[in-house]
Amino acid sequence: MGQVQHSKPKLLWLQSITCNGNTHSFLNHPDIFSVFSGFEVVHHPVLESEYTFHDLAALKIPCDILILEGSFIEKGLTKNGVEVSKMITHYGNEASHIITAGTCATFGGIFKQKDPEQISGFCFDIEQQTERYEKFASKLISLPGCPIHPRWLAYVLMMLSQGKKIAIDRLHRPVELYGYTVHTGCTRNEYFEWKVDTKGYGLKEGCLFYEQGCQGPYTRGSCNKILWNDTSSKTRIGTPCFGCTEPQYPKDRLFVTRTNMGIPATMPLGIPRRAYLTLTGVVKSFKIKRFSQRLLEYDQ
Amino acid sequence: MKKIKIKELIEKIEGEAELDFTIEDGRIEDVKINFGFYRGIEEILQGRDAWDALVITPRVCGICNHAHLIAAVRAIEDGYQNAGINLLLSEKAKKIRSFTLACELIQNHMKWFYMTIVPQLEAYLQIDNRQNHALKATYLSSTVTKALAIFAGQWPHSSYAIPGGVSCDPTHLDLMQAEALIDECIRFVEQVLIGMDMAQYLDISSVSQLHEVGGDLGRLMHLIGSSGMATLGQSYDRFIVFGESLLSSSGKSIATAVSKVDPRYVQESAQDESMAKAVTYKKRLYETGPLARGMVAKRPIIKSLHKRYKDALLTRIFARMHEVSLLLTESKRLLRELDLNEPSCTLDIDTRCADFEGTGIVEAARGSLIHQTEVSGGLIHRYEIITPTQWNLSHGSGDEHGIAVEAMIGSKSIQEATFIFRTFDVCSVCTTQ
Ligand code: SF4
Ligand code: SF4
Repeated sequence: MGQVQHSKPKLLWLQSITCNGNTHSFLNHPDIFSVFSGFEVVHHPVLESEYTFHDLAALKIPCDILILEGSFIEKGLTKNGVEVSKMITHYGNEASHIITAGTCATFGGIFKQKDPEQISGFCFDIEQQTERYEKFASKLISLPGCPIHPRWLAYVLMMLSQGKKIAIDRLHRPVELYGYTVHTGCTRNEYFEWKVDTKGYGLKEGCLFYEQGCQGPYTRGSCNKILWNDTSSKTRIGTPCFGCTEPQYPKDRLFVTRTNMGIPATMPLGIPRRAYLTLTGVVKSFKIKRFSQRLLEYDQ
Repeated sequence: MKKIKIKELIEKIEGEAELDFTIEDGRIEDVKINFGFYRGIEEILQGRDAWDALVITPRVCGICNHAHLIAAVRAIEDGYQNAGINLLLSEKAKKIRSFTLACELIQNHMKWFYMTIVPQLEAYLQIDNRQNHALKATYLSSTVTKALAIFAGQWPHSSYAIPGGVSCDPTHLDLMQAEALIDECIRFVEQVLIGMDMAQYLDISSVSQLHEVGGDLGRLMHLIGSSGMATLGQSYDRFIVFGESLLSSSGKSIATAVSKVDPRYVQESAQDESMAKAVTYKKRLYETGPLARGMVAKRPIIKSLHKRYKDALLTRIFARMHEVSLLLTESKRLLRELDLNEPSCTLDIDTRCADFEGTGIVEAARGSLIHQTEVSGGLIHRYEIITPTQWNLSHGSGDEHGIAVEAMIGSKSIQEATFIFRTFDVCSVCTTQ
């Protein structure tokens, strides 16, 4: 047993420009300590860990798997007198796998908006490869999401600890997680099919695609397949998907659907405009009574 | 007299902070608190759609994001009202918001207790305890955030509160699931945190009965008492609360004299050598947070502790953990009282207001959080966020030290001072935004 203990990969969680939301999201994982038990956690932002921040800043910690949280900036973010970019590069070189946890670390995200010239993701700036890409691409796994979904990170960590290969797409996102759209599994799918929009906020009925800005049909992620907090998702409780896993996040006017002549400007992923319009034309020529009624009523 | 200066990095708070201590004759004489990086959320909001604040501002903070959402939605609602749109929220919407906010506070307090206070105190007192305290924190916090997610879809970073109400439309099935989760939290708190029946615990009104409290809270109070630390960490004995909440109404308490407050007298000012701005009320500093809420609400057990220990760390720690039981009890009541026939949202989908100014105030885990939005042509012209930690953790103003600084001054060691510092539930990301 002793030997096995020593061979555990060393996991280092490093924060750059962040809100700590990914850290807290992962703390919601009901089996977080079991997941971590496959590793030696050498540094973590809030959990007790083997090394201190001093050791971290002194570039003294061994590291096999680097989890990066937060947007990247080359100069101007120092901790304990050391540029964080220097720490990231150092531990990135040491590590055999780098996980960019969250949209900030992956593409730049919300904090990029403050200084779009200087701030980006680690290996991608929105969708563009950064100068670091070449060097780190072979070990890079992207886990966008604002915040990261705890079960998505757990999946990646467990795959790595078992030495399994993770299939990824061109932006290095695991296809098992990002091969789906958020629309898949949404409880409002029937309304989408029949082009019935919701009559307002706070209703179970209706789809949020036509008026309220829902980006579910063209956002990659399994929010409606692997539920948040093992419980629900934005669209299930009537909040539009803001596309937080996408490189372009956050788009402008998050609660508004941009339209062209009354038709949503962005088509569901991979659907030609003509196909969408044809279907819409057919579907809209019917009025289905069930979809104009409430699903259930209490007070009669 | 020899003065020495020592820099100390505080980690495993929400982010990191650097404390520059000045020590004279073995006592802390002054402390400068430096927080890291300015992320510029207020600037990011400029020029964006007014409603985008509901998505962007929660990203100020991963642990109190829900409070930012509620402050943001209240700021818009206040602005709509000021512009003449009558927004009457249903009781249902108000209760659901109170419920989800309560869940976030409970999550926060439990993490602070088991991941900061208990391990730090044990380290300071050199108690060798190999328990995984964080396991208790995450068990409870992931259970209570599940209850939150039933209504808000997810935690962290939900945007389910929208002008006029909430986006969810819960069923009895949802309510039953939420209640079961709250019951599980209550059971955990009774068996692990307080070691007694919650109703009996909440009946405790004086220090003389506190020995009845068992569990980890009882043990911690005992440790603090028996190591002579109970009276450490006193500050100015001035408290302020701006938000109305399940826990207290607004007001200020100078020692025990409670009076009204008016948010118009809140002033923000830049500080040298720090990215964090200081805040004052009529030019004076006040402590905000659970202790302030307990004092302003004149809660008997908090007043009794205060009578004996003033605003020392024992009172401060207890006040925060006491909110857990209060909030769990209130949450359960809220669920029972929800009338699902009421509308979730009363704002008509086509009603939008393009020009307004509004203020939203909320009681977050660390105290009063204020958002101000100025919107013209539908776009945000100016957005201002004042966080609780700006009250508690500033350097100070004029000739007064900051609240936490004053509490640390006089400490015998850096370890003692940093423990006192952490009793304020430090959050670096909120302080610099
Ligand atoms: S609400 Fe969004 S995710 Fe759900 S069905 Fe409509 S478009 Fe798809
Ligand atoms: S539903 Fe959309 S906005 Fe919400 S977490 Fe999933 S991808 Fe992000």
